[in-house]
Amino acid sequence: MRIFKTVATAATAIALLVTPAFAQDKPVVGLVMKSLANEFFQNMLEGAEAHAVERGDYELRAVGMQNETDFESQINAVENFITQGVDAIVIAPADSKAMVRPIKKAIAAGITVVNFDVALDEDAKKEQGLELAFVGPDNRGGAKMAGDALGKKLGEGAKVVIVEGNPGADNATQRRLGFEDSVAEYKLDLLDSRTAHWETEEANQVFSTMLTAHPDVQGVLAANDSMAIGVVKALENAGRSDILVVGFDNVPAVGPMIEDGRMLATVDQFGQKMAADAIDLALEVVAGGPALEGWVKTNIKLVTAE
Amino acid sequence: MTSDNRPLEPTPRRALSFRAIINNAGIGLALLALILFFSLTSEFFLTSNNITNILTQITINLILAVGMTFVILIGGIDLSVGSVMAFAAVVAGKAITLPDMGITELVLLACLAGVMTGLICGLLNGVISAFWGLPSFIITLGMLNIARGAALHVSDAKTIYSFPSAFENFGSALIYGVPVVFLVALLITLIAWFVLNWTVFGRLLYGIGNNEEAVRLAGHQVFWLKVAAFTICGATAGIAAVIYMARLSISSPIAGIGFELNAIAAVIIGGTSLAGGRGSVIGTLLGAFIIGVLANGLILIGLNDFMRQMITGVVIIVAVILDYYRAKYSAS
Repeated sequence: MRIFKTVATAATAIALLVTPAFAQDKPVVGLVMKSLANEFFQNMLEGAEAHAVERGDYELRAVGMQNETDFESQINAVENFITQGVDAIVIAPADSKAMVRPIKKAIAAGITVVNFDVALDEDAKKEQGLELAFVGPDNRGGAKMAGDALGKKLGEGAKVVIVEGNPGADNATQRRLGFEDSVAEYKLDLLDSRTAHWETEEANQVFSTMLTAHPDVQGVLAANDSMAIGVVKALENAGRSDILVVGFDNVPAVGPMIEDGRMLATVDQFGQKMAADAIDLALEVVAGGPALEGWVKTNIKLVTAE
Repeated sequence: MTSDNRPLEPTPRRALSFRAIINNAGIGLALLALILFFSLTSEFFLTSNNITNILTQITINLILAVGMTFVILIGGIDLSVGSVMAFAAVVAGKAITLPDMGITELVLLACLAGVMTGLICGLLNGVISAFWGLPSFIITLGMLNIARGAALHVSDAKTIYSFPSAFENFGSALIYGVPVVFLVALLITLIAWFVLNWTVFGRLLYGIGNNEEAVRLAGHQVFWLKVAAFTICGATAGIAAVIYMARLSISSPIAGIGFELNAIAAVIIGGTSLAGGRGSVIGTLLGAFIIGVLANGLILIGLNDFMRQMITGVVIIVAVILDYYRAKYSAS
C-alpha cells in the first residue's frame, strides 16, 4: 500500500512541477480535495472545473487523494503548491489537526488560503497561532433539519435509532450531534446508535439486526444517504413500510426513494457548488478584498417529497 | 511415474475420514457454543426473522470465502476479491441499466458481465503469479488497486441505481424463510466441496499445497491448476457482485472495501491452513457462520461498536490458536 501511495504521490508531484507555474497573468488557484473515490467530492471537483471554465479569469489546479484518510498526499500537495507559488490554496482538509501546520506554512509564504468543507480543529489552530476563516456547511444544523422533519412527523416519544458515520470523523460527529439535538427537542426515544462506516452494505446488515432487537422502532436517522439506502433495503426485506427514514447528502440514488415515500427527507449541502463558492471567496481576497473571518456558512436545504 | 508419487494420486476419501470429521466438529462446536450463548442472552436471536437475517448477511462473505479457499489451499492468497467485486458490480450495473432491451436480456447480460469481469481478474491474478512464480500476495495487492481504480473509472465514482424490479425481487426472495441468495451460496459451497474432494482436479489442488514439486514431477500441469484456482476465486467475486446488486439495488464503486479480510478470516477460522494443502469448504462454511453470528449477536445483546470490533478480533485469534492445537493433535 505504501509503495503505491509513494508512487502516486511522486507522480502527482512531478506532474505539478512540470506544469509552467505562470502561464499567463491569471491568478492560479490550487484546489486540494479529499478522496475523489467519493461521489460527493467527485461532484464537487466537476463543479469547480465547470466554474473555472465559466469564469475563465483564473487557472485551476486540482489535486485529490486516494482515500479519505490519506492526509500525507494532502500535505505534499500543499507543499507543492507553495513551491509553485500559487496565488490561492482552497482546501478541504482530510484531517482537521494534521493540516494546520502545512496551511500555516502556505500563509507565511503569502498565499491566500481558504479552508472549506471540513473546519480545521480550533485547538490545533490556537496552538499554532493560526487564524483562518472556514467556508462550509453546518453539518450539525443540517442533521437537525432532517431530524426535525422526522420528529415533527412522528411526534413526542417516538422510538428512533441513529446510523452513524465513521467514528472520529468531524462531519460524522457533527451530524450525530445534530440528530441528538432533534431527539432532545422532540423528546424522541433514542433506542440505539451505531456506526455503519458510511457504507450501504454495512448499514443494511447493522440496521437489519437493530430492527430485530427493536421491532418497535418508528424512525431512522442515517448520517448519509449511502447508509439510508441500506436501511431502506433492510426495511423492504423485512416488509416494514411503517418506519420513516431520513438521510443526508441528497445523492441522485435517493431521488426516487424520496419521491415514492421510502425516505422522508434528506439534506442537500450543494457539494457541487461548495468548492466553486470557496474559490470565488479566495479570488476576492487575492484581488485585494478583505480577509475572511469566522464561519462563512454555505447553503443547506432540506429535501422532501413536497 | 514411480512409487514415490503414489500418495499424491487422488484419494477422494479424505473428506469423510474420521480425522476430517473431528477437525470440522471443533469449529462446529465453537459455532454451537456461540449460538447457545446468544440464545440465552437475547430473546430475539433464535427468532425466524433473525435467522433469515443472519443467512442473508453471511451470503456474500460465504461466496467470497469459498473462492478464497481454493486459492489458500494451493498456498496462495487473493487480496483483490473486495475490489474485484466492486469492479464486477460496476460493470454489471452499467450492463443492467442499458436502454432499449428486454428485462430478461438485461438481467442475463448483467449476470454474465459481472461473473466474467471477476473471472478475468482472477485469471490475470493466476497467470501472472504462476507464470513468473511471484508471490500471489503482491500480485493480488496490485490487482486490488487496479480493480478499485477500474471500478471508479468506469463508474466515474458514481453509484449506479434503478435496476429492474424483477432483479431486486430475487435479492429479497425467501423460500420457507431461507433467502434465495443464501441458497445460491450454499449451492456454490456444495459444488466446491464436491470438486475439491471428489475430482482429480480438486485432489491435485491439495497436492500443490502440500508439495508442488511432487505434483509437477508426477507430470501434472501445475501452471494451469494454479491459474484455475485463482480464476475460480475471481469468478466467485463476480457472483458475489451480482448478489450484492440484487440485495441492495445499487452498484457502488466503493463497495467491498476490506471484504477480502473477512473472507480470509472465514477460511482460516474454518481450519484451512494458510500454508496450503489442508482444509475444507465445509470448514469455510462454518467459519462464515461464526463471523456472521458474532456480528449479529453482539449487536442484539447491545454491545457498543468498539467492543464489538475488539471481540471479533479476539475470536479470530482464538480460532487460529485452537486450530494450532487441532492440527497438532490430529498429526500425532
